[in-house]
Amino acid sequence: MGKWWIYRKLVMKKNQILILFFLLLSFQLSAQKYFTRSGLTQFEASEKAFEPVEAINNTTTVILDTANGAIVSQVFIAGFQFKNALMQEHFNENYMDTHQYPKATFKGNFMDFSLENLNTNERFELSGTLSVRGIEKSIETIVNVKEENNRIYVSGMFFVSPQDFQIKIPSIVRDKIAKQIQINIDYELIEKK
Amino acid sequence: MNLLKKNKVVFIASAMLVLAVGTAYVYQYISMSPKDIVEITPEYVGDATELSFLVTNNLSYWTGKVVQITGKVTELTEDGVLLNGTMYCQFENGKDLQSIVENQQINIKGKLVGFDEILMEIKLNQCMIH
Repeated sequence: MGKWWIYRKLVMKKNQILILFFLLLSFQLSAQKYFTRSGLTQFEASEKAFEPVEAINNTTTVILDTANGAIVSQVFIAGFQFKNALMQEHFNENYMDTHQYPKATFKGNFMDFSLENLNTNERFELSGTLSVRGIEKSIETIVNVKEENNRIYVSGMFFVSPQDFQIKIPSIVRDKIAKQIQINIDYELIEKK
Repeated sequence: MNLLKKNKVVFIASAMLVLAVGTAYVYQYISMSPKDIVEITPEYVGDATELSFLVTNNLSYWTGKVVQITGKVTELTEDGVLLNGTMYCQFENGKDLQSIVENQQINIKGKLVGFDEILMEIKLNQCMIH
Protein backbone atom coordinates (compact mmCIF):
# COMPACT_ATOMS: atom_id res chain seq x y z
CA MET A 1 0.00 0.00 0.00
CA GLY A 2 2.71 2.47 1.02
CA LYS A 3 4.80 1.58 -2.01
CA TRP A 4 1.88 2.23 -4.33
CA TRP A 5 1.38 5.67 -2.84
CA ILE A 6 5.02 6.61 -3.35
CA TYR A 7 4.77 5.39 -6.93
CA ARG A 8 1.70 7.58 -7.55
CA LYS A 9 3.47 10.57 -6.11
CA LEU A 10 6.47 9.98 -8.35
CA VAL A 11 4.28 9.74 -11.46
CA MET A 12 2.56 12.97 -10.55
CA LYS A 13 5.88 14.70 -10.10
CA LYS A 14 7.01 13.36 -13.44
CA ASN A 15 3.82 14.70 -15.04
CA GLN A 16 4.42 18.08 -13.50
CA ILE A 17 7.94 18.18 -14.89
CA LEU A 18 6.63 17.14 -18.28
CA ILE A 19 4.00 19.88 -18.23
CA LEU A 20 6.59 22.43 -17.23
CA PHE A 21 8.86 21.18 -19.99
CA PHE A 22 6.14 21.52 -22.64
CA LEU A 23 5.17 24.93 -21.33
CA LEU A 24 8.75 26.09 -21.69
CA LEU A 25 9.00 24.48 -25.10
CA SER A 26 5.86 26.16 -26.37
CA PHE A 27 7.11 29.47 -25.03
CA GLN A 28 10.37 28.91 -26.84
CA LEU A 29 8.56 28.01 -30.05
CA SER A 30 6.22 30.96 -29.97
CA ALA A 31 9.14 33.30 -29.46
CA GLN A 32 10.63 32.17 -32.74
CA LYS A 33 7.82 33.28 -34.99
CA TYR A 34 7.61 36.51 -36.90
CA PHE A 35 4.44 37.68 -38.57
CA THR A 36 2.47 40.44 -40.26
CA ARG A 37 -1.16 41.00 -41.11
CA SER A 38 -0.56 43.77 -43.57
CA GLY A 39 2.02 42.52 -46.04
CA LEU A 40 2.09 43.99 -49.54
CA THR A 41 1.43 41.61 -52.41
CA GLN A 42 1.21 43.17 -55.82
CA PHE A 43 0.74 41.85 -59.30
CA GLU A 44 1.59 43.36 -62.62
CA ALA A 45 0.10 41.98 -65.82
CA SER A 46 0.33 45.03 -68.05
CA GLU A 47 1.16 44.98 -71.74
CA LYS A 48 2.87 47.93 -73.35
CA ALA A 49 0.59 50.55 -74.92
CA PHE A 50 -2.48 49.20 -73.12
CA GLU A 51 -4.17 50.19 -69.92
CA PRO A 52 -2.13 48.99 -66.92
CA VAL A 53 -3.41 45.74 -65.39
CA GLU A 54 -2.15 45.79 -61.83
CA ALA A 55 -3.41 45.61 -58.29
CA ILE A 56 -2.14 45.86 -54.74
CA ASN A 57 -3.13 43.81 -51.73
CA ASN A 58 -2.01 45.21 -48.41
CA THR A 59 -3.71 42.65 -46.20
CA THR A 60 -1.41 39.68 -46.69
CA THR A 61 -0.91 37.55 -43.59
CA VAL A 62 2.56 36.02 -43.30
CA ILE A 63 4.15 33.86 -40.61
CA LEU A 64 7.83 32.99 -40.64
CA ASP A 65 9.29 30.41 -38.31
CA THR A 66 12.85 31.55 -37.77
CA ALA A 67 13.84 28.21 -36.24
CA ASN A 68 13.57 26.35 -39.54
CA GLY A 69 12.85 28.97 -42.21
CA ALA A 70 9.31 27.81 -42.91
CA ILE A 71 7.01 30.50 -44.25
CA VAL A 72 3.25 30.52 -44.70
CA SER A 73 1.29 33.33 -46.29
CA GLN A 74 -2.25 34.03 -47.30
CA VAL A 75 -3.93 36.74 -49.37
CA PHE A 76 -7.59 37.46 -49.80
CA ILE A 77 -8.42 37.82 -53.48
CA ALA A 78 -11.15 40.33 -52.62
CA GLY A 79 -8.45 42.44 -51.00
CA PHE A 80 -6.73 43.27 -54.30
CA GLN A 81 -7.31 46.92 -55.06
CA PHE A 82 -7.31 48.13 -58.66
CA LYS A 83 -7.38 51.68 -59.94
CA ASN A 84 -10.28 50.74 -62.17
CA ALA A 85 -13.56 49.52 -60.67
CA LEU A 86 -14.67 47.54 -63.71
CA MET A 87 -11.33 45.76 -63.91
CA GLN A 88 -11.57 44.87 -60.22
CA GLU A 89 -15.06 43.47 -60.77
CA HIS A 90 -13.96 41.37 -63.74
CA PHE A 91 -10.91 40.16 -61.85
CA ASN A 92 -13.07 38.89 -58.99
CA GLU A 93 -16.04 37.58 -60.93
CA ASN A 94 -14.73 36.35 -64.26
CA TYR A 95 -11.12 35.39 -63.68
CA MET A 96 -10.57 34.51 -60.05
CA ASP A 97 -14.05 33.30 -59.00
CA THR A 98 -13.49 35.01 -55.68
CA HIS A 99 -16.69 33.70 -54.11
CA GLN A 100 -15.68 30.13 -54.73
CA TYR A 101 -11.96 30.61 -54.01
CA PRO A 102 -11.66 33.54 -51.61
CA LYS A 103 -7.95 33.17 -50.91
CA ALA A 104 -4.58 32.27 -52.28
CA THR A 105 -1.94 30.66 -50.07
CA PHE A 106 1.76 30.00 -50.18
CA LYS A 107 3.64 27.46 -48.10
CA GLY A 108 7.38 27.23 -48.42
CA ASN A 109 10.84 27.07 -46.99
CA PHE A 110 13.95 29.20 -47.10
CA MET A 111 17.15 27.28 -47.81
CA ASP A 112 19.86 27.45 -45.13
CA PHE A 113 17.87 29.88 -43.07
CA SER A 114 18.77 30.99 -39.58
CA LEU A 115 18.61 34.28 -37.72
CA GLU A 116 22.42 34.32 -37.48
CA ASN A 117 22.70 33.85 -41.22
CA LEU A 118 20.72 37.03 -41.74
CA ASN A 119 23.72 39.09 -40.73
CA THR A 120 25.93 37.71 -43.46
CA ASN A 121 23.47 36.71 -46.14
CA GLU A 122 20.72 38.79 -47.71
CA ARG A 123 19.48 36.57 -50.47
CA PHE A 124 17.81 33.27 -49.74
CA GLU A 125 16.44 30.59 -52.00
CA LEU A 126 12.74 30.13 -51.42
CA SER A 127 10.83 27.14 -52.67
CA GLY A 128 7.27 26.20 -51.98
CA THR A 129 3.75 25.76 -53.25
CA LEU A 130 1.44 28.51 -54.36
CA SER A 131 -2.23 27.66 -54.31
CA VAL A 132 -4.67 29.79 -56.30
CA ARG A 133 -8.21 28.80 -57.22
CA GLY A 134 -7.59 25.47 -55.55
CA ILE A 135 -4.76 24.66 -57.96
CA GLU A 136 -1.21 24.19 -56.74
CA LYS A 137 1.97 25.27 -58.45
CA SER A 138 5.50 24.96 -57.15
CA ILE A 139 7.46 28.18 -57.00
CA GLU A 140 11.19 28.64 -56.78
CA THR A 141 12.71 32.05 -56.45
CA ILE A 142 15.33 34.08 -54.65
CA VAL A 143 14.18 36.69 -52.17
CA ASN A 144 15.83 39.32 -50.04
CA VAL A 145 15.59 38.83 -46.31
CA LYS A 146 17.09 41.16 -43.77
CA GLU A 147 16.74 41.86 -40.09
CA GLU A 148 16.69 45.32 -38.55
CA ASN A 149 15.52 46.40 -35.08
CA ASN A 150 14.03 42.98 -34.44
CA ARG A 151 11.95 43.16 -37.62
CA ILE A 152 12.41 40.88 -40.58
CA TYR A 153 12.00 42.32 -44.05
CA VAL A 154 11.15 39.93 -46.88
CA SER A 155 10.95 41.15 -50.45
CA GLY A 156 11.13 39.59 -53.87
CA MET A 157 9.26 38.62 -56.97
CA PHE A 158 8.37 35.68 -59.17
CA PHE A 159 6.33 34.96 -62.26
CA VAL A 160 3.18 32.94 -62.84
CA SER A 161 0.97 32.56 -65.86
CA PRO A 162 -2.84 32.49 -66.02
CA GLN A 163 -2.74 28.96 -67.47
CA ASP A 164 -0.98 27.71 -64.34
CA PHE A 165 -4.25 28.16 -62.49
CA GLN A 166 -6.59 27.44 -65.38
CA ILE A 167 -7.68 31.04 -65.71
CA LYS A 168 -9.26 31.48 -69.12
CA ILE A 169 -8.76 34.85 -70.74
CA PRO A 170 -11.21 35.77 -73.51
CA SER A 171 -9.56 36.44 -76.87
CA ILE A 172 -10.90 39.99 -76.91
CA VAL A 173 -8.62 41.03 -74.03
CA ARG A 174 -5.84 38.50 -74.61
CA ASP A 175 -3.44 41.05 -76.07
CA LYS A 176 -3.96 43.41 -73.17
CA ILE A 177 -2.95 40.98 -70.43
CA ALA A 178 0.63 39.82 -70.08
CA LYS A 179 1.39 36.13 -70.59
CA GLN A 180 3.74 36.20 -67.63
CA ILE A 181 2.35 37.91 -64.58
CA GLN A 182 4.83 39.38 -62.15
CA ILE A 183 4.08 38.97 -58.47
CA ASN A 184 5.91 41.29 -56.10
CA ILE A 185 6.06 40.67 -52.38
CA ASP A 186 7.11 43.06 -49.65
CA TYR A 187 6.60 41.99 -46.06
CA GLU A 188 7.68 43.56 -42.79
CA LEU A 189 7.43 40.97 -40.04
CA ILE A 190 7.37 41.63 -36.33
CA GLU A 191 7.96 39.16 -33.54
CA LYS A 192 4.87 37.21 -32.54
CA LYS A 193 4.25 37.29 -28.83
CA MET B 1 -32.27 72.26 -101.85
CA ASN B 2 -30.60 74.79 -99.66
CA LEU B 3 -32.88 73.88 -96.78
CA LEU B 4 -32.16 70.22 -97.26
CA LYS B 5 -28.44 70.86 -97.18
CA LYS B 6 -28.81 72.91 -94.01
CA ASN B 7 -30.83 70.13 -92.40
CA LYS B 8 -28.15 67.64 -93.31
CA VAL B 9 -25.48 69.74 -91.63
CA VAL B 10 -27.61 70.07 -88.51
CA PHE B 11 -28.27 66.31 -88.53
CA ILE B 12 -24.61 65.40 -88.87
CA ALA B 13 -23.60 67.90 -86.21
CA SER B 14 -26.15 66.61 -83.73
CA ALA B 15 -25.28 62.99 -84.49
CA MET B 16 -21.64 63.75 -83.81
CA LEU B 17 -22.54 65.49 -80.57
CA VAL B 18 -24.60 62.51 -79.39
CA LEU B 19 -21.75 60.19 -80.31
CA ALA B 20 -19.20 62.33 -78.49
CA VAL B 21 -21.30 62.54 -75.34
CA GLY B 22 -21.98 58.80 -75.53
CA THR B 23 -18.31 57.98 -75.90
CA ALA B 24 -17.38 60.26 -73.03
CA TYR B 25 -20.04 58.65 -70.86
CA VAL B 26 -18.97 55.11 -71.72
CA TYR B 27 -15.33 56.03 -71.21
CA GLN B 28 -16.13 57.47 -67.82
CA TYR B 29 -18.01 54.31 -66.88
CA ILE B 30 -15.16 52.07 -68.00
CA SER B 31 -12.43 54.03 -66.28
CA MET B 32 -14.31 54.64 -63.05
CA SER B 33 -12.23 54.05 -59.93
CA PRO B 34 -13.61 51.69 -57.27
CA LYS B 35 -16.19 53.22 -54.95
CA ASP B 36 -14.93 54.60 -51.68
CA ILE B 37 -16.05 52.76 -48.57
CA VAL B 38 -17.60 56.05 -47.31
CA GLU B 39 -20.05 56.08 -50.20
CA ILE B 40 -21.25 52.49 -49.75
CA THR B 41 -24.18 51.75 -47.44
CA PRO B 42 -23.12 49.03 -45.00
CA GLU B 43 -24.71 45.59 -45.38
CA TYR B 44 -24.59 45.08 -41.63
CA VAL B 45 -24.67 47.54 -38.74
CA GLY B 46 -24.21 46.19 -35.22
CA ASP B 47 -22.09 44.23 -32.81
CA ALA B 48 -18.74 42.74 -33.88
CA THR B 49 -19.19 39.42 -32.06
CA GLU B 50 -22.64 38.92 -33.56
CA LEU B 51 -21.30 39.55 -37.04
CA SER B 52 -18.45 37.12 -36.45
CA PHE B 53 -21.05 34.40 -35.80
CA LEU B 54 -22.90 35.32 -38.98
CA VAL B 55 -19.68 35.25 -40.95
CA THR B 56 -18.61 31.84 -39.63
CA ASN B 57 -21.94 30.44 -40.78
CA ASN B 58 -21.90 31.95 -44.24
CA LEU B 59 -18.47 33.22 -45.17
CA SER B 60 -18.96 33.46 -48.91
CA TYR B 61 -21.98 35.73 -48.51
CA TRP B 62 -20.06 38.23 -46.40
CA THR B 63 -16.87 38.28 -48.45
CA GLY B 64 -16.45 41.69 -50.03
CA LYS B 65 -19.36 43.26 -48.14
CA VAL B 66 -19.10 46.61 -46.38
CA VAL B 67 -20.02 46.42 -42.70
CA GLN B 68 -20.20 48.75 -39.75
CA ILE B 69 -19.39 47.19 -36.39
CA THR B 70 -19.07 48.14 -32.76
CA GLY B 71 -16.68 46.39 -30.44
CA LYS B 72 -13.93 46.58 -27.86
CA VAL B 73 -10.34 47.11 -28.95
CA THR B 74 -8.50 44.06 -27.62
CA GLU B 75 -5.26 44.72 -29.46
CA LEU B 76 -3.84 47.80 -31.07
CA THR B 77 -1.26 47.38 -33.84
CA GLU B 78 0.59 49.71 -36.18
CA ASP B 79 -2.03 49.63 -38.90
CA GLY B 80 -5.18 48.36 -37.31
CA VAL B 81 -7.11 47.08 -34.33
CA LEU B 82 -8.39 43.72 -33.17
CA LEU B 83 -12.06 43.96 -32.13
CA ASN B 84 -13.41 41.58 -29.46
CA GLY B 85 -10.44 39.30 -30.18
CA THR B 86 -12.09 37.99 -33.35
CA MET B 87 -12.00 40.70 -36.00
CA TYR B 88 -8.96 42.43 -37.31
CA CYS B 89 -9.70 45.81 -38.86
CA GLN B 90 -6.95 47.24 -40.99
CA PHE B 91 -7.10 51.00 -41.32
CA GLU B 92 -6.69 52.95 -44.51
CA ASN B 93 -5.36 55.99 -42.74
CA GLY B 94 -2.89 55.66 -39.86
CA LYS B 95 -4.02 58.99 -38.42
CA ASP B 96 -7.34 57.46 -37.34
CA LEU B 97 -5.45 55.05 -35.10
CA GLN B 98 -3.71 57.70 -33.06
CA SER B 99 -6.81 58.51 -31.04
CA ILE B 100 -7.58 54.87 -30.22
CA VAL B 101 -6.55 53.23 -26.97
CA GLU B 102 -6.84 49.60 -25.89
CA ASN B 103 -10.12 48.43 -24.31
CA GLN B 104 -11.98 51.33 -25.89
CA GLN B 105 -15.40 50.75 -27.48
CA ILE B 106 -15.34 51.88 -31.08
CA ASN B 107 -17.51 51.92 -34.17
CA ILE B 108 -15.76 50.98 -37.39
CA LYS B 109 -16.81 50.86 -41.01
CA GLY B 110 -14.83 48.69 -43.39
CA LYS B 111 -14.85 45.99 -46.05
CA LEU B 112 -14.89 42.35 -44.98
CA VAL B 113 -12.29 40.46 -46.98
CA GLY B 114 -12.44 37.00 -45.42
CA PHE B 115 -11.43 34.61 -42.64
CA ASP B 116 -7.74 34.39 -41.90
CA GLU B 117 -7.00 30.74 -41.15
CA ILE B 118 -3.42 31.42 -40.13
CA LEU B 119 -4.31 33.75 -37.28
CA MET B 120 -7.92 32.52 -36.91
CA GLU B 121 -9.57 35.90 -37.23
CA ILE B 122 -11.92 37.69 -39.58
CA LYS B 123 -10.26 40.42 -41.57
CA LEU B 124 -11.56 43.81 -42.65
CA ASN B 125 -9.70 46.36 -44.70
CA GLN B 126 -10.08 50.01 -45.72
CA CYS B 127 -11.43 50.63 -42.23
CA MET B 128 -12.29 53.99 -40.73
CA ILE B 129 -13.81 55.21 -37.49
CA HIS B 130 -17.47 55.94 -37.96
